[in-house]
Amino acid sequence: MSGGGKSGNRVTAALYWLAPYLVIAAFLLVWELTVRIRDIPPIYLPAPSAIVKYLIEMTLDGSMPYHLSITFLRIMAGFLVAGFFGILVGIAMGMSALIARIVDPWIAALYPLPKISLIPLLIIWLGTGESYKIVISAVTAFFPVAISTFAAIRQVDSGLMKAAKDLGANARQVQFNVVIPAALPGIFSGLQLGMGVTIIMIVAAEMIGGTSDSGMGYLLIHAGQVLETEKVFAGLIVLAIFGAVITYGQKRIDRLIAPWAHRDH
Amino acid sequence: MDIVVDNLSQVFGDSSHQVVALDRVSHRFPSQRFSCILGPSGCGKSTMIQIVGGIEPFTGGSVTIGGQDQAGQPLGSHSVMMWQHLNLFPWRTVIDNVAFGLEMQGVGKSERYEKATRLLASVGLRGFERHRPPQLSGGMRQRVALARALIMERPIMLMDEPFGALDAQTKIVMQEELARIYERSKMTVLFVTHAIDEAILLGDEVVVMTARPGRIKEVIKVDLPRPRSQDMVNTPEFGRLYDRALHLIREEVLSSMRQQEEMAG
Repeated sequence: MSGGGKSGNRVTAALYWLAPYLVIAAFLLVWELTVRIRDIPPIYLPAPSAIVKYLIEMTLDGSMPYHLSITFLRIMAGFLVAGFFGILVGIAMGMSALIARIVDPWIAALYPLPKISLIPLLIIWLGTGESYKIVISAVTAFFPVAISTFAAIRQVDSGLMKAAKDLGANARQVQFNVVIPAALPGIFSGLQLGMGVTIIMIVAAEMIGGTSDSGMGYLLIHAGQVLETEKVFAGLIVLAIFGAVITYGQKRIDRLIAPWAHRDH
Repeated sequence: MDIVVDNLSQVFGDSSHQVVALDRVSHRFPSQRFSCILGPSGCGKSTMIQIVGGIEPFTGGSVTIGGQDQAGQPLGSHSVMMWQHLNLFPWRTVIDNVAFGLEMQGVGKSERYEKATRLLASVGLRGFERHRPPQLSGGMRQRVALARALIMERPIMLMDEPFGALDAQTKIVMQEELARIYERSKMTVLFVTHAIDEAILLGDEVVVMTARPGRIKEVIKVDLPRPRSQDMVNTPEFGRLYDRALHLIREEVLSSMRQQEEMAG
């Protein structure tokens, strides 16, 4: 009886581990069969097998790697600009009540504004080239980074600051040896939020603007306009995987730089 | 270095809602002696040692250390605090926590590491230099905090219920270790606690405080021989002191409960 119980547990454990993969497989199977049996035109809904075929073709002819790498470079450019200025402004606000007071009304007014509504203005000013895409994404990502950095610095445990002072640290030493390291995990979560909106804004910016001819946003909108639905799906899948990889990479870097902020190190 | 508090008062809040934490407290804490400050929660005992340590400002009276009035002095250079919540820096390794004070003074890395290593060995933490505080047990973190305070070699050690969060067994070990460290040193110790046995076991005197507003109710001299050990708990002398302190504390706890009932009613 006990042996049966053990093997039962093992089956349960295997099932638990496999469950998400089984659901994905079942979903794809139902999708494939539905398309084939009901004979749905690929313009509306291509079968998974057809999407995979396109995915392979687009990878081999180089178009997918080309558009993806262009989008990746734009994302990194926008993210770096937003991260640099966001952290700088957030730290300045956290360390100086005067700066916080001066900057606060600007953030209060501009943060809730949907940044996508700035696109017409930015196109007037900058055209539809690279600078417009990087500026729109950097402006969008700046706010979550700056606000998270400011909050992280304000929430630093005052006990740690008192302890440092008691051990002889001067005001500047407290800022650099206590406040900033203690705020790092909060700054990182701001950067993760910033990365999320950078991806959104770059892909959106690539979709808008008539002279745009590269990037995943262009690929999607162009394939959609000529009703190549398989390419649209292929692009979506690549973007989803790309987003997941970036998020995972960011978490790894976060753990590398701020290992104390995670329980399981 | 005698510590004299004279008519020391601490009032929190504004004129409409005042909380008197300390009410004209006067006492001489004798040089190189171990003074325990015992009282019910909220009696201002932590406030008092934070004032002595120059960590908190005060509203009335004076603090004199070694004959020098502390008003207008660069505060805190005579003393170092071991905190109730330890306030270790979680992003620093154990050795960098211990060496923090020396690092802030600009002491070179090899010199401060050598000193910190020696101190860590003396509190039984050899081999844990590269760990981070969150990886250690409660008792080990206490030792790190103790070493971090001892490395400052300041004549006054202020301790704010440092063993409050420990389990009973670890607490006994830490108390005996602290007694040994004190007996070998020439430190003046102010030790805040709400545990009667701890106060008698460690102290040369036990300053019993009243419930809010904090005043000194009575000072009990403890003439138990040194070195102190846990065995003394069973001596008639210890029992007599314990009964005396218990009687005083009981009155204060009952009066503070009555105060709370009146406020609630």
